[in-house]
Amino acid sequence: MKKLILLFAVIFTVTISAQLKYQNGMKKAFSHWEKGEMVKASQLFERIMKAEPKKWKPAYYAATIEILGSFGLKDEAILKAKLTKAQEFLDVAKSNSENNPEILITQALLNTGYIAFDGQKYGMTLSGKNAQLYAKALVIAPNNPRVIMSNAEWNMGAAKFFGKSTKPYCDEIKKAIKLGKEEKIEEEFYPKFMESRALEVLKQCEK
Amino acid sequence: MKRILFLLFTIYPFSLIAQTTVSGKVTDSKNVPILGANVYLDGTYDGTSTNEKGEFTFKTAETGTQTLVVSFISFETYIKTANVKTLNKLKIKLRDDVNSLDAVVINAGTFEAGEKGKVTVLKPLDVVTTASALGDFVGALQTLPGTAAVAEDGRLFVRGGEAEETQIFIDGARVFTPFTPTTNNIPTRGRYSPFLFKGITFSTGGYSAEYGQALSSVLALSTIDEPDQEKTDISLMTVGLGIGNTQKWKKSSFSINTSYINLAPYNAVFKDRNTWNKPFQSANGEMVFRQKFKDDSMLKLYSAYSYSDFDVIQDDINFDDGLRFALQNRNLYFNASYKNKFGNNWKYETAISYTNDNSNIKVIDDQIKSNENSYHFKAKLRKRFSSRFRLNFGAEYFITNYDESYTPTNNNKFDYGFDNNIFASFVETDIFFSKNLAAKVGVRAENSELLNEFTVSPRASISYKSGKNSQFSLAYGQFYQNPNNEFLRFTQNLKAQNTSHLIANYQSVKQGQIFRIEAYYKDYNSLVKFDNNSTSFNDNQPNFNSTFNNNGFGFAKGIDVFWRQNGKIKNTDYWISYSYLDTERDYRNYPNAAQPNFASKHNLSIVTKHWIEDWKSQIGFSYQFASGRNYTNPNEAGFLNSQTKNFNNLSFNWAYLIDQQKILYFSVNNVLGTKNIFGYNYKNTPNMNGNFERQARIPNADSFFFVGFFWTISDDNKSNQLDNL
Repeated sequence: MKKLILLFAVIFTVTISAQLKYQNGMKKAFSHWEKGEMVKASQLFERIMKAEPKKWKPAYYAATIEILGSFGLKDEAILKAKLTKAQEFLDVAKSNSENNPEILITQALLNTGYIAFDGQKYGMTLSGKNAQLYAKALVIAPNNPRVIMSNAEWNMGAAKFFGKSTKPYCDEIKKAIKLGKEEKIEEEFYPKFMESRALEVLKQCEK
Repeated sequence: MKRILFLLFTIYPFSLIAQTTVSGKVTDSKNVPILGANVYLDGTYDGTSTNEKGEFTFKTAETGTQTLVVSFISFETYIKTANVKTLNKLKIKLRDDVNSLDAVVINAGTFEAGEKGKVTVLKPLDVVTTASALGDFVGALQTLPGTAAVAEDGRLFVRGGEAEETQIFIDGARVFTPFTPTTNNIPTRGRYSPFLFKGITFSTGGYSAEYGQALSSVLALSTIDEPDQEKTDISLMTVGLGIGNTQKWKKSSFSINTSYINLAPYNAVFKDRNTWNKPFQSANGEMVFRQKFKDDSMLKLYSAYSYSDFDVIQDDINFDDGLRFALQNRNLYFNASYKNKFGNNWKYETAISYTNDNSNIKVIDDQIKSNENSYHFKAKLRKRFSSRFRLNFGAEYFITNYDESYTPTNNNKFDYGFDNNIFASFVETDIFFSKNLAAKVGVRAENSELLNEFTVSPRASISYKSGKNSQFSLAYGQFYQNPNNEFLRFTQNLKAQNTSHLIANYQSVKQGQIFRIEAYYKDYNSLVKFDNNSTSFNDNQPNFNSTFNNNGFGFAKGIDVFWRQNGKIKNTDYWISYSYLDTERDYRNYPNAAQPNFASKHNLSIVTKHWIEDWKSQIGFSYQFASGRNYTNPNEAGFLNSQTKNFNNLSFNWAYLIDQQKILYFSVNNVLGTKNIFGYNYKNTPNMNGNFERQARIPNADSFFFVGFFWTISDDNKSNQLDNL
């Protein structure tokens, strides 16, 4: 019995301290992110990912930072290197959390990174994939504000390309904003809804 | 006990104080510090990023043996396992990642199309939106340098080589009869629809030891691994209709594509120069099934069936009633390929293909029936020793069984045929000396059972990256190919034909633009020669009574230039290809060496595409020019002694997006109606003045119109067939 207590105590201490380490690590990474230290933030997420091989969030955030950093790049070699790395992270996230709508829409965002760089080269194959990813995410999480928002933005891009009105998607954005306000996030470090960005996109939409 | 517990709870957090410092400096191979490299102990939270001087320092509570990882984009990841106490004041040099996009590419002779290639000259859409291509991927490749405009044939003639010198592969397995058979002056088309393929590698010389039985060129097509979505495609065209469907499951997918082409309505409206007893019709079907297994293993089954027939009378100066040619052809192609990974960086690929081609041909009243059964078995292993050294090796076996019968009018039937079996093996290494210098060295051995001959062909290429955007390449190779069926059906007492390629290439690539220039020399040996004892000037076919030998030879040398720019002019994409070719051959029934009829000294292609936002339309033009081609004028002394006028063709296409899933497509080939001449047929007997009269070999119709409506039905209501056009 005593041995058992000892064992519990040891395991408990180790888990508590591991959990603390994880929380501190994630918090630090987010504080880098808030300060705009993207390299540091991404690298810390990468280290946490390696140290916590069963968690999806560190890999998810590491991928997200690389993807966001790829928009606007002019050099295809750097773009491809960044997005390949992001894809590796995202694959880790996927293997730890299957059919996660947050990861599905981030995969779509990664594809959009390629399409935005060279639509002729990548658009043909990847735009179809994105349509599928959004459809799947909407089935799994029809009321997830991030999914609705991301899908609306993608549709707006397509509508602009074909010279059509983006109006039909304004309602979706409004719905996403409403759902975003109501959303209760219970899981720690779970992706949040970016209301300020959504409001900006809404402005463009209503133009 | 309680004391121990207390100790544990108190000591544990304090143990963090006992820390070791890990420090060092990270540079590239030229000692330039790297800023922002990720440095950490594997499996821990401990780590940091390097500063402007490439330096890093961090503290860790870990003890004992640890693994230090240093990673940075476009460098190879550095790993060092040692006692954490020794990980101090390290000097770390990161090696360039030779697989990154800005590393040197071994590319002499090769064009990539599709999104997988590092430098793609044609994008997926181009294969099908090039005005002159009319939806045939071979048509799009004919706008690249090194190819010749042989508009009456439609196949690929590469760098002074005949069309048969090009071999086509799908997922690694050979396609034995890739083109629909046609008759004089009616260009053929590839049998396979372009949109089942994700990548096309077109090599105009100096290709890898993996490929053999091709003297001039290799076209390797790979099918799509995973289709985007479930959809149905419907096409209504002036020449026929098509329907396609794709189904997807969790790990597998199935696509089917069918089309029916009938030229009767078109011929009724736009009369051409022929009398059609039975207009051209063809039915085509293709299916692909793909199954994924774990670890990226994949099985693909591809099969294609096509049936075509027609019966036509063409004007011929030697036949008052014209020359009748009737054809029925059915063709079945099946291809299975499987690939997987195993062990420590090993990859295994295997492929099997089967072709059955059956033709029934009537020329005037003579009947020729032929049946070909061919198989290709191939297994390939690839071992990656490091990112800098890779080894490829494999073996393959080709079986061709060819039977033909010839029944002349009022005469007995002749039967003949042969079995052409070839065993081949190859081994090749890829070596990266640095990010700027790479080489590929290989050798291929072939044994032909039919000719009882063993050949060895060495291949080598080397590339050097001379600047941020530019590189030089050199390639050399020996290539063997067994004589074509047209010879083998009459004699098997021949050797393989041989050529050697020497290629020098310069390439400069910037965002949105590609420039490349390539010079080559090809030396042909052991080409087949025959005499056909024919009295006709136009007859250059071997026959029963011919005698054959391997004493033919020839050469081809030239320069190919390619320039492509995208986006500099708003919404406009264009490319220009120019080829200069100097070639002579003494082969077939030539009395002496001469520039063959299919070759032109100068070839030029200009392709442009322009997207007009307000019209929701893409408009494209392509222009092709070829200098005159040789023909023999029997009224003058000599062989291939005269030259036709230059060839000119301007084509136009217009794709209009009615909405996101409906497209109206319109194209005209040879808008200006230029009267092109491919050569002349002379009368076998002179007229009263002792002159031989002649007839120009011209296209059946100067221009060709095409209107199509394409409709895609899919769940997302967004896809369209723009990529199919």
